[in-house]
Parts: sequence; structure tokens; C-alpha cells
Amino acid sequence: MVEPTDGDEAAPVRRARDTLPLYAVSAAVTVLVLAPLAAPGYALLYDMVFVPRQPLTWDLVAPAQSLPRAVPMDALVSLVTQLVPGWLVQRLALAGAVFLAAVGAGRLVPTDRRSVRLFAAVAYAWTPYLAERLLIGQWGLLLAYAALPWLVRAALDLRAGRDGALARVVLAAAPAAITPTGGLIALGTVLVLTSDRMRARRSLLVSERMHPLRSRQALAAVGVLNAPWVVAALVTGAGGSSDPAGVAAFAARSENWAGPLVALAGTGGIWSAQATPASRAAPLVPVATVVLLVLAGVGAGLLRRRLPPGGAARLAVLAGAGCLLAAFGVLPGGDALLRWAVVHLPGAGLLRDGQKFLAPYALLLVVCAALGAERLVARVDREVAGVILVGLLFLPVAVLPDLAFGGVGRLRPVSYPAEWQRVAEYVDEEPGEVLALPLSAYRAYSWNPGRVVLDPAPRYLPGTVLTDDTLRVGDVAVAGENPRVRELRRALAEGRPVSTTGVRWVLVQHEVSGEVDPQVLGGLVRVHDGPFLTLYRNPATVRESGGSGPARLAVVVALGAALLVVIAAAVSALHRRPTAW
Amino acid sequence: MRRALTLVVSGLVAALLGILALGGISAAATATDEEAASEAKLVSEAAKRAGKKDPYAPAVYGDR
Repeated sequence: MVEPTDGDEAAPVRRARDTLPLYAVSAAVTVLVLAPLAAPGYALLYDMVFVPRQPLTWDLVAPAQSLPRAVPMDALVSLVTQLVPGWLVQRLALAGAVFLAAVGAGRLVPTDRRSVRLFAAVAYAWTPYLAERLLIGQWGLLLAYAALPWLVRAALDLRAGRDGALARVVLAAAPAAITPTGGLIALGTVLVLTSDRMRARRSLLVSERMHPLRSRQALAAVGVLNAPWVVAALVTGAGGSSDPAGVAAFAARSENWAGPLVALAGTGGIWSAQATPASRAAPLVPVATVVLLVLAGVGAGLLRRRLPPGGAARLAVLAGAGCLLAAFGVLPGGDALLRWAVVHLPGAGLLRDGQKFLAPYALLLVVCAALGAERLVARVDREVAGVILVGLLFLPVAVLPDLAFGGVGRLRPVSYPAEWQRVAEYVDEEPGEVLALPLSAYRAYSWNPGRVVLDPAPRYLPGTVLTDDTLRVGDVAVAGENPRVRELRRALAEGRPVSTTGVRWVLVQHEVSGEVDPQVLGGLVRVHDGPFLTLYRNPATVRESGGSGPARLAVVVALGAALLVVIAAAVSALHRRPTAW
Repeated sequence: MRRALTLVVSGLVAALLGILALGGISAAATATDEEAASEAKLVSEAAKRAGKKDPYAPAVYGDR
């Protein structure tokens, strides 16, 4: 049983009285974390790029020459921004992620103590994991993080044979599966929590209640949700291997004196120093991690007793697997194995930045710590218990205060210079490949002060925009996979004019570092010259951008199948009956 | 006596955590764009002094 049920007539009133504080606290946490987004504009930070209206281009739906890192996320954003402005989509996605993470964690804790749920809500929405992934701009992964408690709850309900659980599994997995990493976390969660083979003997009573097909259906449905990026990876011209230099560059990082493993134990340890809140370097942070671990240890037994047989063990397996993936790059021999894997195993590049797989561990840690707090306060009288619980509510914020207000202003929105729209209109008149110069994946604009952001051109301009896909981490250059960009980089290095490379447009961005050799712009016609951007048209013969019809069709079919599964689950959930399939 | 001591100690710890949390939130709320930009500048200059790549240079995704 995940949540105690109450059969008396006052149940709805009691439930409302119990849940309202949870929603209120979750809303307060969301406001505290995302307050700067109350201002108009777009928060542009590292991987987080939103534009007013993202065009629905083939390259965003099914990248022909690069790995599908944002499939189907980009396609969905493109679809939604045809109806809703990008600034609103950004706010809905971020606020939804923080709010639903808090509510989901609070509801997952098997307790009838309101304050324990509140502690879980605050602790899960105020983790170093959430802070670091927010500050590196990976909002798609945050949706997976937010979906996880709901998915775990639905999967446990499915095991318990509850009606409608299958639909809820699919609906909770859907937002997670908008990125490959989130999709894998969702698939792993469903596999571990509902798989028949892992069922322990003593849970036979539970298994009898669950239809034998249900777990396989859930697994198949979440598999279909993962199909868009899997199919896109199979048909892309980028190949499946990645640069092994990325293993060391993206391995878990030590945040203070205690080393990377303790950083991971506290749900932090992202590779980027810039995405790590400054408070993580404080010498007492490892002590707070130990306090949380001890509290979780105290609560683990309670979780085991309150979940259905085998439920806690399965959650521990899931969290352990996540921890292993997160720590793999820093374990003896693990980095060498990972380097081999990213070169020889297609898709293994996903494991380079392993810290992102820490989400299930973060959830288990928070749920166990909340139950540990419950056990702790059960031993003292009411006044002391109240004081302890209030102190615990403050603990996550006290340890990580610089998550507040968008990581101390790092999420402050800005407006795109007006000429971005003018350039997009020019390109729209004559679609074709756009080369963004100087070659660099990330930009630091004077109108977005103190922040680095992924070049917005591929999402702002219609057509295929070619930007450098080499990632520079400190002094290490992690090579990208796009063969077309490689070809253009070689041409530029040789000083050949861009007009001979077959691109239709060349966008030169000013006020960014790096220079463009005037020689390579020879033969191009300048159509726009502004303070931040200059757009050139190539009058020479241009080549068609890559991507074959059947390959694109395969990705669209996979997207359609995923969408159908979600619609079927939504209809089933709305009808409040077990899914027919 | 023991109960009173527990109450005082837990109260002090809770108050300390509350002050740290609310103080941190207040500091975050009053930070300005200029402070964020100057902090980024300090990090850039420190990286240059250490002979490392500027983590806020556009070409750099980040620094370990």
C-alpha cells in the first residue's frame, strides 16, 4: 500500500485538509526557485534555449546529421509554440517541473503525517540535482525528475493490481520520455518496479492481483514512448559512437573536500563548475549529506514495511543502478570501460554524463529521509517533534540557499534583439542550410550578460542551421558527430570560400568571441547587416539539406505511435477505468 | 529537565537552520544583474590568472 486509504464519509474533507498544505508549500518552493521568471523575456542559460516561435523543421523532428539529443523534445516545443508563445512554454515547463516534483515526492511518502510529506516535498524540489540540472539548462531532464515520483507511484499501484494504474504509468512516463535520458530512466523504472521476473516469492499474493500481462503492457507502452529518439538514432547520419574524451570531461566532479562520490551521495556532482551552486563548495556540505544519509538509513526500514513486499527492494535496485551509472566515470576501471563503450557500443555516449541518472537515488533518499524524520519525531513529545520538523523543513534550503531566485539571478530573462526576427524572415523566404559563424556551439551575448547559452540559431531560424558541435570543457575539446559540420570546418580551416560548400545562408554573429576570415565570405551577398547579426545569401548552387524521406517517415511514425499511446492512456484515465489494452 | 533541554537544543538548531535558509533566500532575492555579471568577471579573471580557459568564453561549455 502506497498511501493509506480511508473509507469514511469525511475522507474527501480530510484528504483536502491533508493535501492543501502540500500544494501550498510546493507552490511556494516553485515561486522561490523561479521568481526571476516573473519578468518578461527568455531565460537563456547553457542548454536552455527558448525562442518566440520555434519552427517545425525536419532537423528538429529528425536530425539528419547529428545525434537525437533533443528528440522528441524539440518537435514537441515546435508544435506547442505554433499555438503558445515560447516564453510561456518555458515558464510552464520549468514551473511544472519544480511544482510537480515537490507534490509528487510529498504524495509518494507512505505516511499519514502531513509534516513528513511537506519535508519530502521541499527536500526533493530543493536538491543539488535539481539546482545543477536547472543551472545547466536541461529542463527536459527536470521534467523526467518531476515525473519520477508519479511514475514510481503508478508502477507500485500497477504491481498492486489497482485499476487505472497502467494508464497512469504511461501518462507519468510521457513527460520523462521527451529526452533520451529521461526516457531511459522511465523505462528502467517500469522495468525494475513491475517486472515479473524480479518478483520475490513472498509477493505472490500481490502478483496474483496484478494481471500477468500488465507489466509487459506497461513496458511495451514506455518502450513506444522511447521509440522516437531510438528510431532517430538509427537513421541519423551521425553514427552511434561518441568521442571518448567526453568520458573524463563529463564524469562526476568533486564539489568540495569530500570528493566526487560524496558529492553524488548528496545528489550533486555535475561535471560543470559553472552549473554548480557556490554553496556546494562549503566545507560543511558533506556533513549535511551524512545527516541526510543517516536519516534515510533510519527511515529505510519503515519504507520496507509500508510498501508492498519487494517494493522497497526494487526501489533500492533502481536507485543503486542510477548511482552506479553516475559514479562509473570516477570508479577505478570504470572510466576505461566507459571510454571503450562510447566508441564501440552505439548509443553508449548517453552514459558519459552519468550524474543525470541519479534521479531515482535522489527520490529514494528523500522518501527514506522523510520516513527517518517520522521515526525520529515519534520518539519525542509533540512540541519537540514540531520544532524538529520545522528545522528539517529549513535544512535543504539552508544547505543550498543559492538555488533561490533562479540560482541567484542566473535565470533572469532577456529579450532577443529585434533583428533575430528579421533574419528569420529572410531565411524563411528561401529555406536552406544556414551556417552560423564564428564556429562555436555556445555563445555569450552582450544582451544576455554573464551567461553562456547554446546558439539559439537552430531553434530560431527555419531550416537546417549548422553550428559547431565540438564541446569545449576547460582545455578539452570533445568532438561532435555531425559529418556535415566536420566538412565545413575543414573548408573554413583551409580558407575556402563558404559559397563553394553548398550552404544557402551564412549568419555571422557579432559581439561574440572568435573571428570570421573575410576571405571565406567571398562570393556571398549581404542581405542584412545589424549590430548583432549579419546575414549573407549564397547565390551559388546550393545542395539540399540531408535526410532521406523514408528515414524521416520512420521518425514521424514513431512519434505518431508515441502520441497515440499517450492519447489512449489519457482517454482511459479520464474515463476512470482500466485501460482496454 | 531532559525534555526542556531537548526542546532548547532542537529549537536552537531549527532557529539556526531557519536563519541560514531565510538569510540565504534574502541574499538571493536582493542580488542584482550587475553583481552576477561582476561575479562572472571575477571567475573569468581567476581562470586567466591560473592559466586556464575562461569558462565564460563563448566557445567553452563549462569548466570542471
